[in-house]
Amino acid sequence: MSADTDLISRAAGGDPSAFQALVERHRSMVYRVAYQFAGNHHDAEDIAQDVFIKVYRSLDRFRQDAQLTSWMYRIVMNACIDHRRRQRPALAAPFGDEAEHRMLNTPEDTPGPEERAYAGELGQVLEGEIGRLPSGQRVVFLMRHHRGMKLCEIADALGLAEGTVKRQLHAAVHRLRQALTQANVTAGERA
Amino acid sequence: MTTPCEVHASGAIELYFYDELTPREREAVESHVLSCGHCRTVLAELGVIRDALAQRPVVSGPASGDWSRFMAQLDASIAGERLPARNIVEFARASRRTYVSYVAMAALLTLVTLSVAIAIRSRAVPAPAVTGNVAARAAREPTDTAAFTALSEEHFERSKLVVLGLATKDPQRGAADWRYERELATSLLNDTRMYRLAAEDRGLTSLAGVMRDLELVLLQTSLTDDKDPASLPQLQRLIQKRDLLEKMDVVTTTTGL
Repeated sequence: MSADTDLISRAAGGDPSAFQALVERHRSMVYRVAYQFAGNHHDAEDIAQDVFIKVYRSLDRFRQDAQLTSWMYRIVMNACIDHRRRQRPALAAPFGDEAEHRMLNTPEDTPGPEERAYAGELGQVLEGEIGRLPSGQRVVFLMRHHRGMKLCEIADALGLAEGTVKRQLHAAVHRLRQALTQANVTAGERA
Repeated sequence: MTTPCEVHASGAIELYFYDELTPREREAVESHVLSCGHCRTVLAELGVIRDALAQRPVVSGPASGDWSRFMAQLDASIAGERLPARNIVEFARASRRTYVSYVAMAALLTLVTLSVAIAIRSRAVPAPAVTGNVAARAAREPTDTAAFTALSEEHFERSKLVVLGLATKDPQRGAADWRYERELATSLLNDTRMYRLAAEDRGLTSLAGVMRDLELVLLQTSLTDDKDPASLPQLQRLIQKRDLLEKMDVVTTTTGL
């Protein structure tokens, strides 16, 4: 039995210290993905909270033979999508409209040193466009780029057809390339 | 922006870049790229995007670097939660305590009884409170299940607006024609997931199965790019393949509501 499986088993049995240890083991990964998706600390913290609450509620449903990281990653991605839905007014216009554009690109009050260092022209263009990607495209793109997951793995994790994942990724990359072209940021200018 | 190259339009260049092609497909793309300036540019831009993303800051914790506020907030959030497994453990512990006290009382009663009249046989120890709890739960469950299936039926009725709407749309009429269904699917997804989990918990396997199919259709609908002309036919095929409309009808009919 792995350390994670043991912790889940104990946490499901009502041991609060086991659940705390589980959170401590995985909170950095969860926060990292949430931050990549949301682009700011405030939303990343909200998403990470949601993730661990969902994990807590689902402890007794975790299959012992499953990979904890895959299971948790799926919860993180669903929480990212749910969070974005909640941010939208009920039945508002679909992703990509002007209101969401403003919401997603509102700068943080106090950007950290990492964010400032990344705020070059290319980084800004990419960041802005990633923020504008529709939720599905953004999830697929991040799963491919930041987790290096294969298309079939993404399809499996999200319960989508592989063709859909392929189209989402193609559309996301197309939009990012278009943004680079429009901003006149090319490979040559990057250096 | 139109794409001047069919190979790129097929998505093969991205798949090549992400190393998702078979060796034979790779060779074909490599040979194509030698003669296609557009695809060479696309590959170069993909490299730029990857390099830039590699420089993206990795942020793995709160801005302050201190997790204590996060952990305190999480503790507060789950304090009111009640885990089924935990309830079972606590219930078992409580039952054990009750049982022990009954055994002690019974032993004392037996001693007193023996001392007064040996001829009188002691009767079985009264059933512990567990029986009462189980009975109460059993009595409560039919009502609970009936109320739950009634709510599920209402949820199916709302969801039919999406499923029926999508199934009968004309794919030729474009994205705007099914935007309403897409938005409604997004708003129904969380509830569907909740109903599915609740049905699983109650052992209502048929209902849970239909909720699972509905959840899949709603998820695909909400994630799918509505500007992609292939999306709607694909969703319609999924609804048909899962026989979803009929299943929703069958489940609401067989639950007797």
